[in-house]
Amino acid sequence: MANETTQTHESTGADGHASGGGLPQFQFVWWPGQVVWLLLIFVVLYVLLSKLFLPRVGGTIQTRADKIAADVAQARDLKTQAEAESATALAELAKARTHAQRTASEAKAKANAEAATRQAAEEAVLAEKLAVAEDRIRVSRDAALGNVRTIASDIAAAITDKLTGVAATADEVETALTAAKA
Amino acid sequence: MADPMHQFQINKVVDLPTVNLPGLGVVDLSITNSVVSMGMAAGLICVFFALAARQAVVPGRLQSVGEMLYSLVDDLAGSIIGHEGKVFFPFVFTLFSFILAMNFLGMFLVFTATSQLAVTATLALLTILTVVVVGFSRNGIGMYKLFVPSGVPWPLLFLMVPIEIISFLVRPVTLALRLFGNMIGGHVVLKIFAGFIISLGLLASGGGIASLGYLGSLVSLGSVVALTALEFIVAFLQAFVFAALTCVYLNDVVNLDSH
Repeated sequence: MANETTQTHESTGADGHASGGGLPQFQFVWWPGQVVWLLLIFVVLYVLLSKLFLPRVGGTIQTRADKIAADVAQARDLKTQAEAESATALAELAKARTHAQRTASEAKAKANAEAATRQAAEEAVLAEKLAVAEDRIRVSRDAALGNVRTIASDIAAAITDKLTGVAATADEVETALTAAKA
Repeated sequence: MADPMHQFQINKVVDLPTVNLPGLGVVDLSITNSVVSMGMAAGLICVFFALAARQAVVPGRLQSVGEMLYSLVDDLAGSIIGHEGKVFFPFVFTLFSFILAMNFLGMFLVFTATSQLAVTATLALLTILTVVVVGFSRNGIGMYKLFVPSGVPWPLLFLMVPIEIISFLVRPVTLALRLFGNMIGGHVVLKIFAGFIISLGLLASGGGIASLGYLGSLVSLGSVVALTALEFIVAFLQAFVFAALTCVYLNDVVNLDSH
């Protein structure tokens, strides 16, 4: 208590001194307390900042930088990949087009060939039928022409019989017919 | 007019018993307004990073600010010290953020911890002691090279070595005084101009030719607004300068061979 009173007196005296033009900063009675407290607070602040807060802030900044770098790298990779895929797709498209054209022309050629073959076969069948028909016609005609002699001999025999009343023999008719024909 | 120096007066907030620290003697560890200000600054930094140190890949506003501050100091340490800057980054960042928080709190509250020479001198000594300790642990006795510039003709060394030694010894003083001077100067000027607004206004209320005082009062108000903006820049800049110089001094001893 006595100590406190002296200090109060001291500071009052210093106050009076300060108003006389001196700086309160040079009242050295306040220095030790300020220095000790400042060092204490500084150390606590240093420990808190260096162990707790600054690593967190620095870590966040680092994480962000890493993430941005990774994202950019990934985007670049994807771009390269997309370009490669686009080139592949174009190549495949070109290949498919050539293939399609080839297939189409092949199909056309095959169809043409088949049509020609079928036509030829049909024509062969028709020609055969025609030949058969012509043969039959010729046979019929020959047969018909053969019958003409028989008919002529019959008619000649009949006419002879009618005219003469004597039936001509087959040999006579035949001889007569041959002579007539010649 | 109010005493512009009154804002720097230290008062006890919570009475604590004195402690007998070895080597320092009896120290009154009472919580003063200066200690409260430092504690608030440290607390503010912790709260800020507790909210800002989220791990979202797409950051929100607060997280962006936190990462911006981180990158600022990280780039600073990296560009000045090189790849070994990572080792000292937490120390430089703590200095930077702590000074920045104290400076900014001074812009909003009535007390600025960095306008106390005790505070800036402690920070400067802490920095220089770190530099010395790092220098000796890395280079051992080779630390002397710091004071012997390479490629200088030997007769010139009689001149150069004392200059180098003095410049090294002056470093903590300039570190402490630069921050202290900027902070106290800015706050005193602000207080004086703010005082002018009231005193000139009171003078003008007398009427007559003294009514011109209203004009002076208005000019003072404009000055206070402009100076406040300037002080915000100074508050940031001084924290940055302190951090940058810390990096420069650390670089001197870390990369001593290329010095």
